[in-house]
Formats: sequence, C-alpha cells, structure tokens
Amino acid sequence: MIGTTFMVLVMMFLGTSVFLWTLSQNTLYNEAVRTTNQEEINRVNEGVIALGGNYSVSGDSVTVLAVLKNTGSVTAQLINLWVLDTNQSKYANKLVNLNLNPGDIEPVMYAVLIPETHANNTFVSWFVTARGNTVPLEREFEEGVTVAEVAQGIGYLAMDFDKFRYYEYASAYGLKDFPAGSGGYSVPATEHVVFGVKLTNYDPTGRKRSLTLNSHSLIWMYFPTYGKQVNWHIVNVDANGTVQPTYSAITVGYQETTTVYFASKSDGSFSGMNDKVKPGSGGPAAINLLLLGTIGSDEYGQNIPFVSVYCS
Amino acid sequence: MNPRKIWKLLHGKRGVSAVISNVILTGAVIAVSFVVLAWTQYRSSAYNDEYSEAMDADIARLKERLAFEYVFYDQSGSTLSVYLMNCGTINDTTVKTVYVTTSTGEPIEVFSSTTLRYFDGNEIPDQDLDRGEEGYFTLSSLGLSADTSYSVRVVTGRGSAFDHTFIA
Repeated sequence: MIGTTFMVLVMMFLGTSVFLWTLSQNTLYNEAVRTTNQEEINRVNEGVIALGGNYSVSGDSVTVLAVLKNTGSVTAQLINLWVLDTNQSKYANKLVNLNLNPGDIEPVMYAVLIPETHANNTFVSWFVTARGNTVPLEREFEEGVTVAEVAQGIGYLAMDFDKFRYYEYASAYGLKDFPAGSGGYSVPATEHVVFGVKLTNYDPTGRKRSLTLNSHSLIWMYFPTYGKQVNWHIVNVDANGTVQPTYSAITVGYQETTTVYFASKSDGSFSGMNDKVKPGSGGPAAINLLLLGTIGSDEYGQNIPFVSVYCS
Repeated sequence: MNPRKIWKLLHGKRGVSAVISNVILTGAVIAVSFVVLAWTQYRSSAYNDEYSEAMDADIARLKERLAFEYVFYDQSGSTLSVYLMNCGTINDTTVKTVYVTTSTGEPIEVFSSTTLRYFDGNEIPDQDLDRGEEGYFTLSSLGLSADTSYSVRVVTGRGSAFDHTFIA
C-alpha cells in the first residue's frame, strides 16, 4: 500500500513537471510568434514613398534627386539605394542611412557610378528599408508637374525663368561678367547686349530625342509703345565668354539643360561690332523665343512668348 | 555455514512472520519504484531535450527573414546575382541551398554551395548574414531565356525558405 502510494506520487510528480515544462516551452514559442507578427505588422505599416525622382548624368556619375515621405505609422530607416540603367542593363547601389519619423519629408540627393552611362538612358531606382521593404522612386514627370510645363501647349523645350540673363560686351567678342551676367528683366536700352536663356529638353513623347537648334533661332523683342522690333540670332559662346564668329548647331539631349545665347544681327554668323544688337528704345518690351531646328530626325519649331523686359 | 543449519533452514516447517514478509514486500515495491522513477526520469529528460531542440529550432526559423534587394540575370554571362539582406531578428543566417525554377515551379537548377560576398565584392568570412547585414551570391551557367519569368528560392541552414520572382 505504501509502495503503491509512493509510486503514484512519483508518477504524478513526473507528469506534472513534464507538463509544466512543456507549457513553458510553448509559452516561449508563442512569444516568438507574437514578436514575429508584430514585426510583420510594422513591416506592412511602413509607408515610405519616394517622389519627384530626377536623374542627371555627369560622366559615369548618375545623380538621383528625390523627395522621401514617410506616410506610414512607424519610423523607417532607409539603408540602400539601387539605380538601374535599363539601356545597358547596368546597376549600382549606394549605401544610405536615413531615418524618417512618421510624417517626415526629406529631399535627398545621391550619386552612384554606372560605367558608360548616358543622360539619354532610362533609369529605374528604388530604396531598401531596414525592414526589407523596397520603395520605388517615381519619376518627376509622372506627377504631372513637368509634363504640364512642356506638353500643354508650350512645347518640348522648357525655359528656366530664374536663369534668364543679359550680358554686356567687354570687348569685340568677349562678354562682361560671364557666365553670371545680369538679371534679364531690366535691360539697358542703349548698350549692345547678349541674352542667355537656360533651356531643358523634356521631349514628353517618350522617345527621348535630342533637339538641335539651327541658326534661324532667335530672340524677338517687341516694343508695343512704338511697334518696334529687334532680333538677336543664336550664337555660340565658349567657356571664356567669347562669342564665336560662326554658328554651329547646338544640340540639347533628352533631359539635358543648356544655356543658349542670342547676340547676332546676322543669321549664322557674328562679325563683332557690325552684328551687335542693342534694344535702342526705352520702355516695356515683350520677348519671344523663336526656336527652330530638328528633334530626332523630325523638323521642329517652337515659339516661347516667355518674358517681358523693361529697357531704360 | 554449518551444514546442519542449512539443512534446518531448507527443511524447517516454520514460516517467516507477517511483519517480516511485509517489510520484504514493501522494500521490493519501493526498490522497483526507484527503478521506475529513474527510468521515467531518464525518458522525460530525453523528451525534454528533444522538445527543447525542436522548439528552439522553430523559434529560430520564425525569427529568420531574408529580403531580396535585387535579383539580376546577366544574359551575356548567364549569371544570376542575388542580393540579400538579413532583415530578421537572428544572426548567423546561412544560405544552404538555392533553387532556380520556372514560374510554374519546374526545377531548372539546384545549387548547394554558394559563396556569400559583401556588396563590395569581398567574400564574407563567416559565410552568414547577421542582423541587418547585406550580401550577395552569384549562380553561373544557368542559360535562362530572356524576358521570361523565373523564381529563385533560398533555403537557409535553419530550413527557412524565401522566394523571389525575377525576369531574365
């Protein structure tokens, strides 16, 4: 009787201890499942978006501009940027370390090296977060901003209003204060001047064609008070600010930005003093940019009635 | 022993007393109980160890997570590069086997030996990815068709499987 009782007690003790131990192990497992589920929820709630993507190429360096927004409910850490050049199937990555709180908006700029890349190539890029999510970078024109500028009745070339400049002459061919010049909205009426306009080729057709300007391109100034018109033909200006005597066609690649100069009375040439142009009258004047040339293999013409100036 | 006493013990008519017999029986039962106790202790301990190992392995597998940062197939070299990051909550995640299959799951190639490298191309010394660590491996001689969808499955040393679809 005593032995049997003892044996039963032993069995109960062993059974209970095994049961409790198993329970503790199951608790550990459930805790791990709960933690993993929480991480999965955080991963799903991570809502970083990358907008306003823009690429610029200089040599083998591709600079990526983007605006990152954390629209999610959890903090996010961006650890890597991948850039793919789809034209030549080459890619590169750049380690980044950027933390975003919910609601944060952060403009960023990163450069990666992709050998033999070109501005005309198409790029795709995405960020990777520490939780393993990927954030694709949406191109700027997909938001409609750039497309609205160039496609809704204006044309393929866009002009930067902030960079409209005029230059006076320092010598027969040399420009004064090159390349900074002076703000182009207030121009001396009695001085010979050269205008500089910054143009960007946004070819919104998706064909990414280069645009070439021929010698007929000009700036046309019109004084409504007198009905007077003055023209400045397109010229080439070298890096030292010297106007070249003969015009050679200027090509603006897709998404490239180039400053174009207008100086000459003559179409296709500039002979110094005889071809210099001055407004000649005071008062307000309208300026039209008449651009002619080719885009890809097609002929192209664009008229940008872009600014008003005051001559004094 | 004296032969007389032996003879007396074997041919004696008197039995042992009830007390003695009870003591003998109780002692025997307790002795057997201890044997059973030892045996069950041994068995339950073995069960505990097995269960603990299985549970630890399950928990470790739960904590494992690999993110595919990029999968790129180089048509000219027939080489597949798989860029990974350990975004789980456990260290020492190894790549044991890699399966390349068609989009319908038909196997193309199985790789049981891959070399993990850092993104700068240097070999990872311990051949595993710790938490937050990034690395890649390449698979060669695949001969995949261009513009076709394929899947790559990475199986870790702990037995977790992670899939990613790519276009060659």
